[in-house]
Amino acid sequence: MIYEIRITANSPTDSKGQELLAEIKRTLGIKSIKNIRSSKVYRLEGISFSDAQKFSQAVLFEPINQQMSFNKPIFSSFDKKIEVAYKPGVMNPEVGSLLKAASDLKIKLTAADTSTEYAFWGKVKDKDLSIITNRLLVNETVEQVVKKPPKTLMISGQKGKVEKIPVRNLSDSQLMELSKDRLFLNRQEMKIIKNYFAKISRDPTDCEIEVLAQTWSEHCVHKTFKAKLIVDGKVKKPLIDRIRQTANYNKKLIISAFVDNSGVIDFYDGWAISGKVETHNSPSAIEPYGGAMTGSGGVFRDVLGTGKGAKIIASTDIFCFAPPDLPSKSIPPGCLPPDYILRKVVAGVRDYGNRVGIPTNNGSVHFHPDFRAKCTVGVGSYGLIPKKIAKKQFPKVGDLIVTIGGRTGRDGIHGATFSSGEMTDRTITVLGSAVQIGNAIEEKRMIDAVYDLRDQGLIRAITDCGAGGFSSAIGEMGQKIGARVFLEKAPLKYSGLSPWEIFISESQERMVLAIDPQNLKKAVQICQLHNVEATVIGKFDGSKRLRVTFDKKPVCDLEMQFLHHGLPQRVMKTTRNKQQPVLDRVETRSGETRNKKLPPLPKKADDWQEIFEKVLSHGNVCSKEPIVRMYDHNVQGTNALHPFSGVNLDGPNDGTIVRPILKKPYGVVITHGLNPTLNLIDPYGGSIWAIVEAVSNFISCGGDIKNAALIDNFIWPFPDEESLFDLDQSVDACSDMARLLKMPFISGKDSLSSTYRYPSGKILKIPPVLLISVFGKIPDVRKTVSSDFKSEGSTIVLVGKPDFKNLGGSTYFDVLGTKDPEIPKIDLKSLTKVFGSVTKGITQGQILSCHDISEGGLAAALAEMCFGGNCGTEVDLSSVVTQTDTPGVKSGRHHEDTPGVNLRPDFILFSETAGTFLVEVENPQIAKKLFTGIPYAIFGKTVADKTISVFSGSKNLCNLDLDKLKNAWQKPMREIFH
Amino acid sequence: MIKPKICILRTDGTNCDEELFYAFEKFGAAPEMVHVNQLRGKSKKLSSFQILALPGGFSYGDDVASGKILAVELISFLKNELQEFISKKGLILGICNGFQTLVRTGLLPFNNFGQMDVTLAGNDSGRFECRWVTIKTGDSKCLFVNGSDELIRIAVNHGEGKFYAEPKTIQKVEDESLVVFRYVDESGQPTQTYPQNPNGSQNAIAGICDPTGRILGLMPHPEKFVDITQYPNWRREKITKPHGAFIFEEMIKFAQQN
Repeated sequence: MIYEIRITANSPTDSKGQELLAEIKRTLGIKSIKNIRSSKVYRLEGISFSDAQKFSQAVLFEPINQQMSFNKPIFSSFDKKIEVAYKPGVMNPEVGSLLKAASDLKIKLTAADTSTEYAFWGKVKDKDLSIITNRLLVNETVEQVVKKPPKTLMISGQKGKVEKIPVRNLSDSQLMELSKDRLFLNRQEMKIIKNYFAKISRDPTDCEIEVLAQTWSEHCVHKTFKAKLIVDGKVKKPLIDRIRQTANYNKKLIISAFVDNSGVIDFYDGWAISGKVETHNSPSAIEPYGGAMTGSGGVFRDVLGTGKGAKIIASTDIFCFAPPDLPSKSIPPGCLPPDYILRKVVAGVRDYGNRVGIPTNNGSVHFHPDFRAKCTVGVGSYGLIPKKIAKKQFPKVGDLIVTIGGRTGRDGIHGATFSSGEMTDRTITVLGSAVQIGNAIEEKRMIDAVYDLRDQGLIRAITDCGAGGFSSAIGEMGQKIGARVFLEKAPLKYSGLSPWEIFISESQERMVLAIDPQNLKKAVQICQLHNVEATVIGKFDGSKRLRVTFDKKPVCDLEMQFLHHGLPQRVMKTTRNKQQPVLDRVETRSGETRNKKLPPLPKKADDWQEIFEKVLSHGNVCSKEPIVRMYDHNVQGTNALHPFSGVNLDGPNDGTIVRPILKKPYGVVITHGLNPTLNLIDPYGGSIWAIVEAVSNFISCGGDIKNAALIDNFIWPFPDEESLFDLDQSVDACSDMARLLKMPFISGKDSLSSTYRYPSGKILKIPPVLLISVFGKIPDVRKTVSSDFKSEGSTIVLVGKPDFKNLGGSTYFDVLGTKDPEIPKIDLKSLTKVFGSVTKGITQGQILSCHDISEGGLAAALAEMCFGGNCGTEVDLSSVVTQTDTPGVKSGRHHEDTPGVNLRPDFILFSETAGTFLVEVENPQIAKKLFTGIPYAIFGKTVADKTISVFSGSKNLCNLDLDKLKNAWQKPMREIFH
Repeated sequence: MIKPKICILRTDGTNCDEELFYAFEKFGAAPEMVHVNQLRGKSKKLSSFQILALPGGFSYGDDVASGKILAVELISFLKNELQEFISKKGLILGICNGFQTLVRTGLLPFNNFGQMDVTLAGNDSGRFECRWVTIKTGDSKCLFVNGSDELIRIAVNHGEGKFYAEPKTIQKVEDESLVVFRYVDESGQPTQTYPQNPNGSQNAIAGICDPTGRILGLMPHPEKFVDITQYPNWRREKITKPHGAFIFEEMIKFAQQN
């Protein structure tokens, strides 16, 4: 018997219902519905009638503002009603709490579930209801409409058997059939597997095949990055080597690079800090809420699984989507609408990060129509760890394999292999099980337990169960010594899983620990204190094999050598003269269609106001404050530079600074940079831009490049010849910039599956993204700045050498529809000096505020500094004409006589040259002292009146109304997150 | 002077415990992290502390309602210990999720253990709000916080913070002088305007005490502004004293003197 309890608000409306109503009107344009109410449905099974009533009163129902119905409907006289629940087998995080509360009340309750019921009033056509259901309420991957109440909530099933896969007899085409949609291995790799088993004269088990596919997946092994690369007929160093050799720069800072779950650098007083950035594109594209949650969860565990366990101190989120107003006919089959993805991804990050208590205090959102088939979701996480346990740790022979945290279920099977494949219209249906809903509290208590285990010295080695599950975690930990696993000991969410499913399941919130047997008892006690399940499932046995059994039946028995080194180095070729595949780009590659026609110059003052507002309201420039305010960016109390500051706390800052040890003034500065649009036009130049932008953000907060490290994320289309060439260029940009700046990369990840294949076979390449993250240490957070203008009458200085001639890929050109392949050129000669001067000016307290110039150009940077300062400015564009590399040159010569001839005022205002800054200083003398020897211009001054007045010499070009600009800048995201 | 011992109560999902620990320590108390399982298992005793502090977070995921599952646990297992603690003049502070828990145990506002009289409902905005607001301390029964005209800048980080009750209950809360903090506008007047009042709380109520004045609960986070650099505008406003400090100073002083 299942008891049904429904709870709804006492008032005639509730926020969930109203939100849905608004969404239906806004997104679907359906206006005939008058009201929607929602009710939470609880189902309780294995409980007595009186206990069910008692439980409802004590736990579920709060009469102050709610009404309840017991075993009967709660709404009457509605026109339509639907109920939405998680599918059976998808873990509903709330159920654990219900069972706990029942147990605390000494009530017997066997199973429970929750769902949501929506009642509609007004004219609701069946057709509309089905659109509402499909587009707004139900993600079929994890949810369903409840048509008939379930007969039982208990999931059971037959225990799966171990099957043999007769690969030795399969033809090439049969091998590929086996690989498709499941293993994602290529013909050569399948043949290596076939040959290996032929050699040892037996067929593999299903588990062995799965373990090999997971271990050899692009996601886990980075075949392209490790490949022998032949570019234009010449052998080049593998991509991964080019990146990793940068770890030779600034060696004394680095504690561990590219060997552990995150990169680690030195901090102060015997502490170290670590950083990791992951992408979670494929899951987020098909189930954005769950995908974003598990993305956050995974990257938190990466930091937790560093050394002997690092404390997670900050999180970052970087998204790329198609513009929210993309017409629905442009959305490829099997893909979700971009505004839905945006809202759901944000909700996922919010609900996971907030609950785990990690401040999400840095991030950005970018838009380009070509993200319509697959979004890019980058999630970063940063940690603090005692230096003496910060290096990667290894198990010893005899150590126990202990799994802690969540139980294993069927969820998340094939995540590693699936995220390595391209996306098609079938991805959502075939691979739905690769996505799951995260349980943040499971993760939080596990994190608490790990901190305690670490502090008591009970951990020998630790790693997270991410992609590839036990297979990956145990396989990697035991790589050198071998592991023996008794799979029947693994705690399961429900029965009925096949052994291979248990072994490769990517159920979230699990860590694998190597624990010395003599520490086991104490470790288990600590886990119990935190309500965390800890189970010994095997040991590291010295056999140099990966041996897995289930109830004594053999499941897997592979040599570690073959598993980890059986895959030969790929040879990949690419040439500059590439064969273009059939492209479906909304934006054609502008290099091929150069439109030399430049836009007309804005003439009237009104034109200027209009174009400023257009640029400021562009998705890549507009304020993201509504998103940031939903993230708990202030938990842990460590922020020393908040995402927003200024008179009205709405001026955006370039990065975040946290003070992870509250008693100390030491800071960790975290920033990032990317520009998919520029990467698309010019992979090398766009990558340089992304790196310089990331570092500029870091400098702009007060960081020093001598104390910082870089993290790379390549989110790239499937590496066909063309994309591989672009990737090679981008990697060269990374290695060139690291050399120039003497900054090491210490962690990174590539995800080479940003390709979508239409049913017709036509291909859509998602814009390549090089996401660069920077983190570093500063000795005193009090010697840093924010971007808001601090006072009236200050001097505004433009520092660095902008390229006022090339605006290809800029927001300004995008707004005007102008194509140009010439992206801004960054002056690499002066860059290091520019960085050094800004750092010095900030550290010495002479720079009052600083903002780097990026999307939206100088205009956007200036406007944002004014928004923060709630003040205006007077700027003189002619000042930049006199800017030279020669120290101290400042003249009033007329433009035509100077090298800056014919500089267009709109180009000056909207050029997006990374590596240039606007800084506020008290007076021009300070600027002269600070910046002599590098390119700079005294650009203007701050004024009380909330107007941006633009002059060119004595000529007044325009006077822009700051409040109107701010409204344009804030409106787009306010409308999406109303 | 002896440092008062503070029990920082943690459980699954507690996440503002470290900054709360730091705040108490900074102003001269001796805080200790205590997991609710340690109280249940009797390896730690509430009676050895002078102040019980419930930090912010998402206890048990805020499943069903914020703080609900922890409230059920406290009512089921720690009823006697809590009642004894209160009767022996211990002080209780609940911040954010801690406040939600205290309300759901019935300890606030009327010290009706096991009976809920008011609620902290979902924010009117329908979403989690992480922002800085201004509050003012009114004259109330609270034994350790005095009314003042000073405007206090303070962080809120919650999704369910709307103080809500039947009109007659609200009246009783007001009549008994249980309102300690209210959200105010720049002129210092209580406000119902979003986002100055970030959740739509009735009578702009941000924090309350019980009739004994020993139990204090509030949605905003004083522990997140006990150092100057924790405030987003420390670079432009000259802050001489962090605005959250007084609550800890006063509470510790009171615990020492009584």
